[in-house]
Amino acid sequence: MTTSFDIRLARGSVLTGKWKKGQYRVERLLGEGANGKVYLVEHLGRHYALKIGGDAVDLQSEINVLQSLAVQKKGAEPFLIAVDDFRHQDGKEYPFYVMRYVKGSNLNEFLHREGADWFPLIGFHLLGRLAALHEAGWAFGDLKQENVMVGEFGRVELVDYGGVTAAGKSVRQFTEIYDRGYWNGGTRTAEGSYDLFSFAVLCIQQFEGKRLLQLTQTLLPQNRNIEELLKLAAASPTLKPFNGWLDQALKGGFSSAREGAAAWQRLMYGPGVRMRRQKGSGWVKGLFTASMVVLAATVVWMFAEGVIPDGLW
Amino acid sequence: MRQILLITDGCSNVGMSPVVAAAHARSEGITVNVVGVLDNNEEASMAGREEIADIARAGGGLSRIVHERQLSQTVQLMTRKTVVTTIQQAVNRELKQVFGADAIEELPPEKRGQVVRVIDDLGETSDLKVALLIDASASMKPKLAAVEEAIRDLMLSLQARSGRSEIAVFHFPHSSSGDDCMCDLDWTDNLTGMRSIIPKLQMRGTTPTGPALMQVIDFYGKGGYGRTTRRETDGISGDYVV
Ligand SMILES: Nc1ncnc2c1ncn2[C@@H]1O[C@H](COP(=O)(O)OP(=O)(O)O)[C@@H](O)[C@H]1O
Ligand SMILES: [Mg+2]
Repeated sequence: MTTSFDIRLARGSVLTGKWKKGQYRVERLLGEGANGKVYLVEHLGRHYALKIGGDAVDLQSEINVLQSLAVQKKGAEPFLIAVDDFRHQDGKEYPFYVMRYVKGSNLNEFLHREGADWFPLIGFHLLGRLAALHEAGWAFGDLKQENVMVGEFGRVELVDYGGVTAAGKSVRQFTEIYDRGYWNGGTRTAEGSYDLFSFAVLCIQQFEGKRLLQLTQTLLPQNRNIEELLKLAAASPTLKPFNGWLDQALKGGFSSAREGAAAWQRLMYGPGVRMRRQKGSGWVKGLFTASMVVLAATVVWMFAEGVIPDGLW
Repeated sequence: MRQILLITDGCSNVGMSPVVAAAHARSEGITVNVVGVLDNNEEASMAGREEIADIARAGGGLSRIVHERQLSQTVQLMTRKTVVTTIQQAVNRELKQVFGADAIEELPPEKRGQVVRVIDDLGETSDLKVALLIDASASMKPKLAAVEEAIRDLMLSLQARSGRSEIAVFHFPHSSSGDDCMCDLDWTDNLTGMRSIIPKLQMRGTTPTGPALMQVIDFYGKGGYGRTTRRETDGISGDYVV
């Protein structure tokens, strides 16, 4: 539930943590949502994102998730940097945490600016992120445009861990139009297929957003269903190659996001390069053998020239 | 944990004050939440707003005024938030002894993390009952479809919890008999296959919110129709909340 929370931090102001005394200089607001505001801050000469919230328990739940994730992937660059409280001039205390600053823009902004050509690759990267989260025992929960950040070369990072839920529990936070339950498509249990459903809606929202909105305003609740979503997907030229995939994702047909990602990857390159002759014909076999000979010769040559160090083989 | 969720769109006009009734609920360990529902271009009256806020305050719960479209989401979020708050209040009582702090906010971040983990875990696993009390006076008639939808949506969310979760549904005024309130659905954890929850009604003009609340409190005490009285034993309801 959104609690009335209206703290505004001025550019240039410095937050000092109550417990750890770390200092964070505010540069600008990066975004806000139901649970808090996120500012770009400078700390010890580096940029970070600082999320400040109104409700200590809500924010702490999110921090707990981030901490569990950090323990699970030791060695990687940490995402969660610091946790503390801040006493505002108004006399109230606000909890905050500091995380890695994710450069980039959200999915919607990125695709509008850089073009829909990026979509298949970004989708693939996003599925990879989800798969990693699932394999660590979580579901993302509140997957939506605003929570997907896209950086250079279509790299993807998820932000907003407020919906992240341990597998098998009830999804902690979700947004109606992305929610499987809303579309009468299944339970609200945190599991991989729940996120894949939201991912599919995200695709439709991205390219048929207007009609999706219209649908939510006109359909009676009992008539909301997967077939309606698929009809929208079928109308979008960008989604055309992915229609079968979306069908499967909406119906819970993938056993995991990893499997979903692999299926997506096979679709990314269109129908594929066509061979001139049928497989198995003597001519192709001959060509294959010939190319192996050329390859072997090349490798021998490379060794001779020292292009490939011995250790590699 | 026990909650009453009152869904209404105006002021009570007969019987005891709903604010007093809500205070009764609270002293029985039942939290009262109130949603004021407007059709999509209606404005809430001042008096209605005040009454809704007062009932929730007396009942230790939350109040919101929303349009039909937001009803499902509001009901779901409110119920969830109240579960967390109820546990939080119970935990706050223990904090003093364990950590010497008055509230979770006072704890240093590491300890806060431990406490919130316990809160989240209890929020997911403890037993929960939500009695929905629906104002079915004449002005609510066009909104009842949205109310039904919100009830189904709530059931779906509750079904994903690990703890036992049940709802019961009541409406008021009860059109024919002298009763103020009618039970449409006894405690259940499943609505699949159920065609309609709130029956097609002869609407009357009165809105006996207070008496209806009292009857739902009584129903809680009886543990449902035809069951013997029993006290909740999940350790969180009852005196903790007061
Ligand atoms: N680590 C981050 N780096 C950059 N931007 C971020 C980061 N975290 C959040 N944001 C931005 O702030 C917005 C709100 O943050 P979010 O955590 O989603 O808040 P809420 O939980 O309230 O929805 C996001 O949509 C995103 O644009
Ligand atoms: Mg967000």
